[in-house]
Amino acid sequence: MQQLEIKNLRVAIGENEIIRDLSLSVGLGEMHAVMGPNGSGKSTLAKVIAGHPDYKVTGGEVLMDGENLFELDPDERARKGLFLAFQYPSEVPGVTIANFLRAAMQARLPEGEELEATDYYAKLYEKMDLLEIDRSFTSRAVNEGFSGGEKKRCEILQMAMLDPRYAVLDETDSGLDIDALKVVASGVNSLRGPNLGVLLITHYQRLLNYIVPDFVHVMVHGRIVRSGGKELALELEEKGYDWIREHAGEPVAA
Amino acid sequence: MKTDTSAVNIDRDKGDFHYKVDYGYDAGVGLDERVVNYISDVKQDPDWVREFRLKALQTFESKPLPTHWASKDLEAIDFNKIRYYLAQGQRATRSWDEVPEDVKRTFERLGIPEQERKFLAGVEAQFDSEAVYSNIKKAVGEQGVIFVGSTEGLKEYPEIFRRWFGKVIPTGDNKFSALNSAVFSGGSFIYVPPGVKVKHPLQAYFRINAENFGQFERTLIICDEGSELTYMEGCTAPKFNTATLHSAVVELIALKGAKLQYITVQNWSPNVFNLVTKRGLAHEESEIKWIDCNIGSRLTMKYPGVVLKGRKSRGEVLSIALANNGQHQDTGAKMIHAADETTSNIISKSISIGTGRATYRGLVHVPKHLKNCRNNTECDALLINATSRTDTYPAITVRGTGNSVQHEASVSQVSAEQIFYMQQRGLSEAQAMSLSVNGFVNDLVRQFPMEYSVELKRLIELEMEGSVG
Amino acid sequence: MSHGTAVLEEVTQTPAVNSTVTSAPPEAAGDLPRWFQQQREQGWREFSALPNPSRKDQAWRFSNVDALDLSSYRFGNALSDHEHAEILERSAVLNGKSGRLIFANDQLLDRDALPESLRKAGVIFQPLERALIEHEDLVHKHFMAQPAVLGSAKFAALHRAQVRAGAFIYIPRAVELDLPIEIFHWLVDENAAVFPHLLLVADEMSKITVIEHFRSFNQTAPGFACGVNDLIAGRGATVKYICTQRWNENVTALQINATTVERDASAMSLNLHLGGSYSRFESLSRLVGEGARSDLLAVAVAHRKQEFDARTLQDHVSPHTASDLLYKNALDDRARTTFGGLIRVEPHAHFTDAYQKVRNLLLSDDAEANSMPGLEILADNVRCTHGATSGQIDEDELFYLRTRGIPIKTAQHLIVTGFLNEVVRRLDQPAIAAHLHRLIEEKFGNARG
Repeated sequence: MQQLEIKNLRVAIGENEIIRDLSLSVGLGEMHAVMGPNGSGKSTLAKVIAGHPDYKVTGGEVLMDGENLFELDPDERARKGLFLAFQYPSEVPGVTIANFLRAAMQARLPEGEELEATDYYAKLYEKMDLLEIDRSFTSRAVNEGFSGGEKKRCEILQMAMLDPRYAVLDETDSGLDIDALKVVASGVNSLRGPNLGVLLITHYQRLLNYIVPDFVHVMVHGRIVRSGGKELALELEEKGYDWIREHAGEPVAA
Repeated sequence: MKTDTSAVNIDRDKGDFHYKVDYGYDAGVGLDERVVNYISDVKQDPDWVREFRLKALQTFESKPLPTHWASKDLEAIDFNKIRYYLAQGQRATRSWDEVPEDVKRTFERLGIPEQERKFLAGVEAQFDSEAVYSNIKKAVGEQGVIFVGSTEGLKEYPEIFRRWFGKVIPTGDNKFSALNSAVFSGGSFIYVPPGVKVKHPLQAYFRINAENFGQFERTLIICDEGSELTYMEGCTAPKFNTATLHSAVVELIALKGAKLQYITVQNWSPNVFNLVTKRGLAHEESEIKWIDCNIGSRLTMKYPGVVLKGRKSRGEVLSIALANNGQHQDTGAKMIHAADETTSNIISKSISIGTGRATYRGLVHVPKHLKNCRNNTECDALLINATSRTDTYPAITVRGTGNSVQHEASVSQVSAEQIFYMQQRGLSEAQAMSLSVNGFVNDLVRQFPMEYSVELKRLIELEMEGSVG
Repeated sequence: MSHGTAVLEEVTQTPAVNSTVTSAPPEAAGDLPRWFQQQREQGWREFSALPNPSRKDQAWRFSNVDALDLSSYRFGNALSDHEHAEILERSAVLNGKSGRLIFANDQLLDRDALPESLRKAGVIFQPLERALIEHEDLVHKHFMAQPAVLGSAKFAALHRAQVRAGAFIYIPRAVELDLPIEIFHWLVDENAAVFPHLLLVADEMSKITVIEHFRSFNQTAPGFACGVNDLIAGRGATVKYICTQRWNENVTALQINATTVERDASAMSLNLHLGGSYSRFESLSRLVGEGARSDLLAVAVAHRKQEFDARTLQDHVSPHTASDLLYKNALDDRARTTFGGLIRVEPHAHFTDAYQKVRNLLLSDDAEANSMPGLEILADNVRCTHGATSGQIDEDELFYLRTRGIPIKTAQHLIVTGFLNEVVRRLDQPAIAAHLHRLIEEKFGNARG
């Protein structure tokens, strides 16, 4: 089963149910976009897949290549090939990007094996060039004092370095101007291939002009209400979310 | 990539062992004139030293414990149950081969002889009350650098020793400086002649082996005009069930244009009361820098200071304190500006883990009519658990219009979001925590000599183990 | 009277006594409640038993404790008609106010009562003596309920023993006062002592601004002021308190404040310290309910040999509380200031935001600023910073102004008042802010004149 499979997922914070019976599968090599209005539960979906402790899973499961993610700690999920690009990446004061990534890559090696420093830097610089990131970036603390664009590029850089099998990109376009958006998109595109499945979460269609999805899903009020090909995004952009809500039988006013 | 961390032995477990040793000299338990006289007799003190000690004993007895501002935990020290002097012999040898086998084993296990070969210009190794080994590389000795124990220093070089001894820290400075002045033994006496720049560090290693013991070393370092020196001290003791007392006095003198750097990495076991007075006197255009890493001990009270006596002199304290369960690190810095254009810098970072408590106490004093004095103080505290505690108590006095003083402090913690973020990248919770803590001290540790920064980071990792969850 | 509905209270007639305020216990006053009498006696016993402060005591570190020789102060005399008239004339500050009390030598001189609408709504604004009788339970519940923990327990005890003048204010649930309440305390004759008291209880969701004015009738007569104010902001209430301290420069002054901020309430205090030879201000802000917020603001303009001594405690008792302290001092001549402040975050008071900033601007070579900003953090998830700076007027800033043609004296003056006004602006009360600006200007005018 080479896929990230979300089956009948239900998630709550306290009494409030945020994801209501959601199912979705992302195969290796596929690019899925999930679109939805604010408050539809998109970011919750991303965090639950990654294992954020604030959310309570009340039903369903998420399988990665057949393995139940809910039985794994967040770092175990990551080491098995799951990557989340955060909408709001945390600052890690004093820890440089170079050291951080190195620790993350070291954690993926078998016990007793040391990361080869020269190979590591060669790879790091290659990926940085790709993302048009200046070399001096590596000695800055992770996300500390970064602009919105720098944070997002840093997320994609980490993704490039950690070679995930499945990546969830949570509102990777938010806070980016058009130039920064193009750089980030071309970074993501360069990582596309038969060994990577991507779940791209976005509010706006504009990102999908640069990262063309294979499938588009529309999420409203905690569930997928419509799925289709890339043309669905354009239709949605044109007609707005209310159109979908009407079709889905959801109340129009939020 | 493997980094050699054997340079500095501050691994707690590495220090937690002790051997049975036969002491030839033992002043017994408790403190009175008889004990002080015993120490003077054994050490064959000159009369002025004996008088100095006896007078200090009176000062010690007359001074109350500073519990009106400091921790009440001080009252747990029973001065009548401590042994004030324990030694096997009276002279430090110049060769490890001559060090008695049972003592040598201790230092070998701590890796001291090995470090000496690798990167030190000289080593002194103190075992309980006396130095058992003291040696300086030939080339350094030939430059006129003196590096001996305090007993030898006061006898062999009285003209230099007496001139400065007790001048930076008078006996009555505080109760513990008075105690040290009464029963001091061991510690280093160093003199660096004008213009001599000692390339490699001199190191002293202080080892407590005996139970119920008090170690009272006395260090006096004089850097003559234009000279430079780095001195490092390391301390360990085995874990005993009873209280052990370490109460040193360290006086530094930097004459015109000299640069003196004093580095401490203490890793005391959690039964040690570490109550130390350290101060430097900086003459014109000189620089005194304290680098102080306080890990371990039950209670540490230590506020290294610099009296900026000469124009354009500079003082600096960089400190890291890590207070683990049940420990109280009460540390800080004192900067006394006494001349124009003097500058001082204090950077203090503390980490409180579990029920640990880290306290910063600072004193910055810029008196009247000075011009262009600057002080910058930054204190940052990191709390790891809900039960951890941190305090900051600076006192700043500034007079006049020519000076500027700035103090900033912050308290933060490792946030859950931060840990989750790092876990998502594949790091375990403990690794994430350790990385965050190292990040917190990183900009400061970068200013330390390489051998220390590497080992310190590793030690922090060790201390962080088991602190998560 | 300035207010249409003013009711003139019977003026308190305190007979002048010859004994000093520290040598004789308070006299019994038969018409006051028994508990209050007992508190007075208790206060006197405590005052007599507690030792004088010493500089070795952390709470008095750097303080000029010798200034606290109180042996010559006594209760002031009854006022002459001329003094009476002049004080009334000089007690006009705000045009719009909800009510006003004027005390001189601890005697009530005049009162502008609340408008009828507020009285009908249940708002109480009375001299303490009358409130003790008419609203005994309310006063009893809150009267000096917070111990003085910042060093002046002895003087709080003296206040408890000797208090005879002050105001009690109570705002019922959901009542909002649009205009501030004003209270004046005057020191009149030589060696007079006053014990100004204010007890403010703001019930749930109420809103009030109070301004107190401390003044001397005579610009040189020595005197002693030992005031206490307790501010209680109930759930969701908004309380603003302003005090302008303008005793003359031969007065020794102590002011002890306790502010209690309950759930979702906010309290803001601004103390402008201009007068006194030695003036000590202790301020305790307790954040006892979640969502509580306290802003502590102060400005001191110190010159000649004046000494201002401020001690503060931001005590975070509950989680999710915020406090923000900003104290600014401008020091000239041989003046001294001391700031000793502590942010304490109690165990379990997680998610606290606490800030503390003290800024000293030294204008002369003999001025001395002492700062002791402290933190005690016993909880987790806390955002806490403090900062203390001491410096002088920035040369570049001064140069910039001069290149615009501004003479050096004016430029300095602009920079200093700008520095201080940053605090006053936080008040967000234009009429009162304008008054505070005027007072600051006036003090500088004095100094330079």
